[in-house]
Amino acid sequence: MTDEMLRAPAEVKYAEELDWLESIDDGPKPFSWRLSPRMVRLFVLGSERSDGLDREIAQKWFGDRSFVERAIVTLASDRGLLLIGDPGTGKSWLAELLAAAISRNSTLVVQGTAGTTEDHIKYSWNVSMVIAKGQSRESMIPSPIMTAMEQGVIGRFEELTRSTSDVQDALISILSEKYVSIPELDDDNIVFAQPGFSIIATANSRDRGVNDLSSALKRRFNFVRIPVVTNKKSEAEIVRFRTTELLRRHNIDLELPPTLLDILLQSFADLRAAAASAQSDDGKLESALSTAEQIGVLEDAILHSNFFGDRTLRAETLAGSLVGSLARRTPEDLAILNKYWHGVVEPRSKKDGGEWQGFLEGGRQAIATLS
Amino acid sequence: MSLFGALREQLNDAAETFAGSPGALSEILTGMVDDVDRALGERLEIFPVCHHSPASALAMARRLREKQPQVIYLELCEDLRPLLDELRTCKLPVALQAFATDLDGFPESWGPLSVVAPITEASAEYQAIAYALDTPGVELVLVDRSSDHVFQWHPREEPGRPAEEAGLHGDAVGVEIGDLRPRFAELEEHLLHHGKVRHWSEWWDQYVEQPLSGADYDTYRQVMVLIGSLFRRLRPHDSAKLDRDEDRERYMWTRMREHLAATGADPERCLYVCGAFHAASRVEEFGLDATRTDFDISPRTATNWLYGLIPSSHSAIEAQFGLAPGSVSIAAATYAKATTRGGVKPYALKGQPSSKRPAKAKPAAPLVPADQLTGFLSRPPERDPLDEAELLGWCVDIVRLARRNGYLSSTADAIAVYETSILLAGIRGRARPTPYDFQDAAVTCIEKDTVPGRRDVRRLCEILLGGDRIGEVGYQSLPPLAQDVFERLEPLGFDMKKRAVHRVLLDLNATPELRPCSQLLWVLRRLMPDDHAVRPIMGSKQLGERSIQESWDVALGHHQRALIELGYEGVTVEQVLEQRLRRSVWEPKATAADALQAVEEAILFLGGRRVADELGARAVDLLAAERSVDDAPDVLRRIRRLLAHYRASEPALPEWCERFVTTGYAQYCTLLPTAFVAEDVGVRQVAAMLGFLSSMESLALSLGCDRAQLELAVRQSHPETPGKIALLWAAQFQLGVLAIADLRERCAELLDNPLVVPSFPQYLSGFVQALEAAPALTPFVVEVISGAFAKLPDRVLLPWLPTLIETLRKEAPELVPILIREAGRTFPATLAAVDAWVAPWERAPGDGPGVRAAPAAVTGGPAAELLAAHPAPSDAVAALLGCEGGWAPLGSGDAAPGAAPEVAALLARHPSAADALAGVLCAAGKG
Repeated sequence: MTDEMLRAPAEVKYAEELDWLESIDDGPKPFSWRLSPRMVRLFVLGSERSDGLDREIAQKWFGDRSFVERAIVTLASDRGLLLIGDPGTGKSWLAELLAAAISRNSTLVVQGTAGTTEDHIKYSWNVSMVIAKGQSRESMIPSPIMTAMEQGVIGRFEELTRSTSDVQDALISILSEKYVSIPELDDDNIVFAQPGFSIIATANSRDRGVNDLSSALKRRFNFVRIPVVTNKKSEAEIVRFRTTELLRRHNIDLELPPTLLDILLQSFADLRAAAASAQSDDGKLESALSTAEQIGVLEDAILHSNFFGDRTLRAETLAGSLVGSLARRTPEDLAILNKYWHGVVEPRSKKDGGEWQGFLEGGRQAIATLS
Repeated sequence: MSLFGALREQLNDAAETFAGSPGALSEILTGMVDDVDRALGERLEIFPVCHHSPASALAMARRLREKQPQVIYLELCEDLRPLLDELRTCKLPVALQAFATDLDGFPESWGPLSVVAPITEASAEYQAIAYALDTPGVELVLVDRSSDHVFQWHPREEPGRPAEEAGLHGDAVGVEIGDLRPRFAELEEHLLHHGKVRHWSEWWDQYVEQPLSGADYDTYRQVMVLIGSLFRRLRPHDSAKLDRDEDRERYMWTRMREHLAATGADPERCLYVCGAFHAASRVEEFGLDATRTDFDISPRTATNWLYGLIPSSHSAIEAQFGLAPGSVSIAAATYAKATTRGGVKPYALKGQPSSKRPAKAKPAAPLVPADQLTGFLSRPPERDPLDEAELLGWCVDIVRLARRNGYLSSTADAIAVYETSILLAGIRGRARPTPYDFQDAAVTCIEKDTVPGRRDVRRLCEILLGGDRIGEVGYQSLPPLAQDVFERLEPLGFDMKKRAVHRVLLDLNATPELRPCSQLLWVLRRLMPDDHAVRPIMGSKQLGERSIQESWDVALGHHQRALIELGYEGVTVEQVLEQRLRRSVWEPKATAADALQAVEEAILFLGGRRVADELGARAVDLLAAERSVDDAPDVLRRIRRLLAHYRASEPALPEWCERFVTTGYAQYCTLLPTAFVAEDVGVRQVAAMLGFLSSMESLALSLGCDRAQLELAVRQSHPETPGKIALLWAAQFQLGVLAIADLRERCAELLDNPLVVPSFPQYLSGFVQALEAAPALTPFVVEVISGAFAKLPDRVLLPWLPTLIETLRKEAPELVPILIREAGRTFPATLAAVDAWVAPWERAPGDGPGVRAAPAAVTGGPAAELLAAHPAPSDAVAALLGCEGGWAPLGSGDAAPGAAPEVAALLARHPSAADALAGVLCAAGKG
């Protein structure tokens, strides 16, 4: 099944692993959970030798253990879970993994936008059917959240703060009374949530103040703040993990040399330091230089070497992709990159040699082409 | 087969299974058992401890009651021993401190050296100290290296003091009993990762503290030594820290052997309390029956060490020793709970709160170690059952506390926190929620996207679980200086020892008896300027000023440490200040300005002439030796202020002041020509020199200086920059060499010459600065500025205006009011007057009140008659000034021709005042 999808949801992608975990899970499971909380944690954070399992479970989300524990525990309690953090910190990925592990369904998602209405959260009507047969359960279109309630599984709400306040407040009754009434119907007009229903919402902390949550909604959610990854080791693992996944998705058989990964991480760290010390916006790159951006650069370089190169990832290609991805404004971004290349990369290539020399050359050419 | 034979075999098998062959791993595992065996088999009973471990404290209390040892050897700097008796008067936590400023044998850059050893109530060492000090016949011997050796063994290339933020401890080097932590980061990371905990304190609590809390003594000892041995064996082999650790072990065993030999004490009745790391020592000197006993203890350096107690706090300890925030508080709370639950009666020093007499118990039988370790390692630790009431209490309290701190939390949150704590403990494999689980649960349920108040939920949890406790040093243990300060502040009516900010209001007119208190507060402020121990809200202390009312914020209780450290320097604050002032003027880099400042401070804070005169004499020497004039403005300002003070308050100037003026006159005359041309000397400096020379001239001349020296110096000066040229002209005007008309002409030439116009503003700056030396030039400077505004082209004037304002504000703030006053006199005050106004300098000579003919000689009147009747003094003055000419004959006594007609009219209208004056003068003349 995964072969037919561009990107399989976590429960499909890790179906085999989840099946196996379910088969060995003897811990107490809350409500209708498919796995016990400990197994959910194991699924998300991967196994250790000390866990004494017969097979290794890969780590899928990189970050502090206590965040995952707090998130799982919240879902087992009465409250909804709100993951809050900067863009690119892996909030949605964690939400997807949790939903997949707990209820084997991570696709019941409402995307919060300025155009989201209450109908998207509760239900809407199939107009032609209503005209033909009148209002009934049959002609009703339940929202993903309502479906989650009926099935007793986890529903997801992405970018909660992007939707307007009145729409957000529709969640209040769902989270406290745990039912949705359908006043249009005369009978069978209440949908009760089954045990196991909960909501994982994500919110971007940069957007705070756009549509602030009401206090009533805030107290129905437990907030778990996901910080930005600053640890180089964790970042390397995230980049490697995501890139391997991408390679598999594109069916590309290409090796990722560790030295090149180091160069990529190092150059991003340098550029971030430069951006932090810049005096004005002109002095820093437009890009946020997030971990997701690094993955983008690497993916670009891999695709380039696969289709136009000799199927080996080279430092020159990586440098070209980096310049290409980060130079968004001319001449400001190009000037910064030019300064970086001559001020940092050049001395380093003389000192350390190795792949840095290729990186220097590739970057120079890319900058020259774009200038 | 030894005691642990079975365990050793079992571990060997385990090593084989995991590592594939019994190699290194087996060596480590069985080596650990050997260490345990060795430590427990030692004749002198070793009590391994870990810092801030309630389990250690409880085990210690239990063991002391059982064994009743006669001698206790404690791993603590041996020179701190006398301080321990003082603990009785203190509220814990406090820190023992050794402090040294006079270094001998250490690099100067290391000073001041400071070592602190914090003592908390929930610690094994406090149990041992309390037992030993309160039980008659028990001797407490500190055996670790002295504070001096701490620095002797410090690597020389490193800076002397680690830069740790430690709040109450300042930047002291911390020493602690029972430092037990993995010696390299990877091991700690590994343990934390596999223990599924966040920080070291949590790991320790979960894997050692909890299981050991109810363990018997054998188990406790074996487990502690085992962990000590583990960290000892898994460590970088080349670490310098380890060498020092081993040296410390040799030191301690040597000291113990010496003590035993000297006193003949029975090792069976002794107890050696040391960190678990040292209990697993493998140095050759280990044990009473060691093979090597020849460790050479190096003598202390000649550094003069001072000792005292300073207040400490849980957060200061956490910061200094890199523990997780709140961990010491949580340990204290755990300890308190364990002691109230019963089972063990802890020792406490008499005189301290909750002090209880130790129960009499019979000496315990010698300990026969039994293998408890195998059981501990092979079965999961037994955990306490859920303490439901405690957790419920926490949940309710945290919600209450959060509400008070601005969170919108309610009972629903209390329920959620309770549920989440239990769920979290479940997922983390704990039978009951630890304080750490509770903290996480509270953060999850109560913390939202913003923190409404000053404290977040994590901090509130720390407060709830015991909070930061801050110690207090008892009055009796304070140094004499601190006691003296508290006694002298008593009239203010506050208990300054309390930890509060006292607002002190002093009405010095109504209650002059409080003046000494005010003086003391000023001295304290001068000595502790950075701390907020004493802070003036209203009132000031400057020469020539006297406060009528003052208001102070005094928080000496909060800042005990600063006051105590002041106590290391002297017996009274005045003595300390005197020493500091002396030190400041004798420093190699001291300047005359510094010395004058010291004189000012001596007058202000110490009173009396002795110190001020001594410092003043030094100022003269410093001035004579100075080759730079950078400080000239400062010197001028200060000496003027001092002269004004002495003239107002003393019958005669002090001798040093006179010498200072004459030395300064000669010195500045000598340096003037160089200063005028030197590029690195600014206009302000030269102006200040000229100011000194002209304003001190009369005094200097009366003391024997020669004016020709100044004239020559001015003649030798050939400045090249516009600002200094203007200064030179002003100096020449002041000396009478240059007439005002010539000066005016020169300025007009400058303004007419288009090549010079751009630099004209700099001339102006020079003239403004020259007001310091030639105040008579003020009207002229106003004239020049007005002329410049009128004539300078906009392209020169406009860019220059901001520069002028900035220069005036920065370099001549005191001269601006003079200029403005003069301008106010010159320019019309009303709009109507503007039309008719003609600038004084543009009027024809003789057509205004400002321009007058030279006053004619007085030819009559009572004054003239008086002088004519007694010509001798006038003749003598004339001869002295070299003024030739004789006496003019007295006229009819009419008003002199040319005298102002208004004055004559005024006198004619009101003759009585003039008549009375004439009567007085005549009477005086006749008398």
